[in-house]
Amino acid sequence: MNAIELSHINKSFGDFAIRDLNLTVPSGTICGLVGENGAGKSTTIRLLMGALRPDSGTASVLGTDVSSPEFREVKEDVGVVLDEAYFPESLNAVQVGKIMAATYRRWDQKLYDGYLKRFDLPPSKQFKDFSRGMRMKLAIAVALSHQPKLLVLDEATAGLDPIVRDEVLDIFNEFTREEDHSILISSHILSDLEKLCDYIAFIHQGNLLFCEEKDRLLEEYGIFTDSAEQLECLLPEAIVAREPNGYGGVRALIRRDLAPAGFQLEKPSVEDIVLFLVKGAKTR
Amino acid sequence: MKALILKDTYVIWRQMKYFLVMILLFSALPSGFNNAFAVIYAAMMPYTALAYDERSKWDQMAAMMPYSARDVVLGKYVFGWLCIGAAAVLSGLLQAVLSLVIHRAFLPSVIALSVLGALCILAITLPLMFRMGVEKGRLAMFLIIFLVCGGAGAIASIAESMGGGTAFAFQGPILAAMLIAAVVLNVVSIPLSQKFYQRRQS
Repeated sequence: MNAIELSHINKSFGDFAIRDLNLTVPSGTICGLVGENGAGKSTTIRLLMGALRPDSGTASVLGTDVSSPEFREVKEDVGVVLDEAYFPESLNAVQVGKIMAATYRRWDQKLYDGYLKRFDLPPSKQFKDFSRGMRMKLAIAVALSHQPKLLVLDEATAGLDPIVRDEVLDIFNEFTREEDHSILISSHILSDLEKLCDYIAFIHQGNLLFCEEKDRLLEEYGIFTDSAEQLECLLPEAIVAREPNGYGGVRALIRRDLAPAGFQLEKPSVEDIVLFLVKGAKTR
Repeated sequence: MKALILKDTYVIWRQMKYFLVMILLFSALPSGFNNAFAVIYAAMMPYTALAYDERSKWDQMAAMMPYSARDVVLGKYVFGWLCIGAAAVLSGLLQAVLSLVIHRAFLPSVIALSVLGALCILAITLPLMFRMGVEKGRLAMFLIIFLVCGGAGAIASIAESMGGGTAFAFQGPILAAMLIAAVVLNVVSIPLSQKFYQRRQS
């Protein structure tokens, strides 16, 4: 079963539109959703959680159509962390726990208390006095404490210091040790996604440009760094994007399958691939 | 829905003591208008909670949780009803005590009228809040509160002057009319608010 299936989703807001979005996240995997600000990542998350109605297309989560009344039950199995923790600011962590205990049937108070301790969150400090990092940690604690099968994380690691971020990524990894547990995570910190994800989906100006297995993606492309003359030896179709390398030469993202055998290419990072595509540095 | 009512209670807990002082103060003042306002004031509690929701963008979070639009909307109504009920009990108790201590007229019918007026205000103004948001809806709310308070106060004052501190002859029909109005308005108001809320969400 797929944890998430978005099929031919269209949603228009006038000056911005999600167009023919098809995204599948197989159960038991972690998918990273990548894209610049305003690309449509948060909108995609709102669409898949049924918080926004698409103009056309269908969305299902854990096998249930998000527009059906049954989806409300399915939300018990989905832990969500949005780009901000939108708890009313006069609440404290204990009160948030009590509210969530009345919200989720499988709320695990001991687990929640454990996360509060682990994240060093003060139980009775008002939410408005929390730093951004503390707010995100509280949201993560809530998302993990009702025994979800799917985590949907929108910039969940933003604002966390590197040590806590690393710990949180470990927690997410632990979460997917259960074979039916899945994660969709959007982040600007591409190194986090590279470390965590099985799949990378890249959304650009409302269009999903690709959703591929991370390892396959990294094998598919290579980084060329040399002179422009040498780059011209390649087929134009092989050059995905290029930019000056700052030393009089060029740096380019190359499709390995279209490059001649033995052509020297470095292994790219997910960040390299995404940045080349976003910058639109393609100047063939 | 229980979770949402609990959330609203926590959210306005700090404001609650000021509300309590206002309710008791207006209940103690010797005028039908003030006594009515003491209860009707409680109808504003859901707007305070809504204002906090808006400020924290709680709705975005709630949309990800297993709450239905009905839960969110009905939760605000139930919260309002509970606040009105609690204010009526407090105001009634204080007025009863004052009637014994300083021999002031105690008219439970004024409290009943205030409760029904508050329920009508809630039913009229909550759809406006869900439609326009708290900032824009607040102006309309104050206008309606003023009109209902004035009306309820006027009726209460007439009642006092006509009855010389006792129940007046036509209080039954007025209460019955207000009860019908409160029920009808709330029955119409809840689905309307739900529709407005869902429209704003999508």
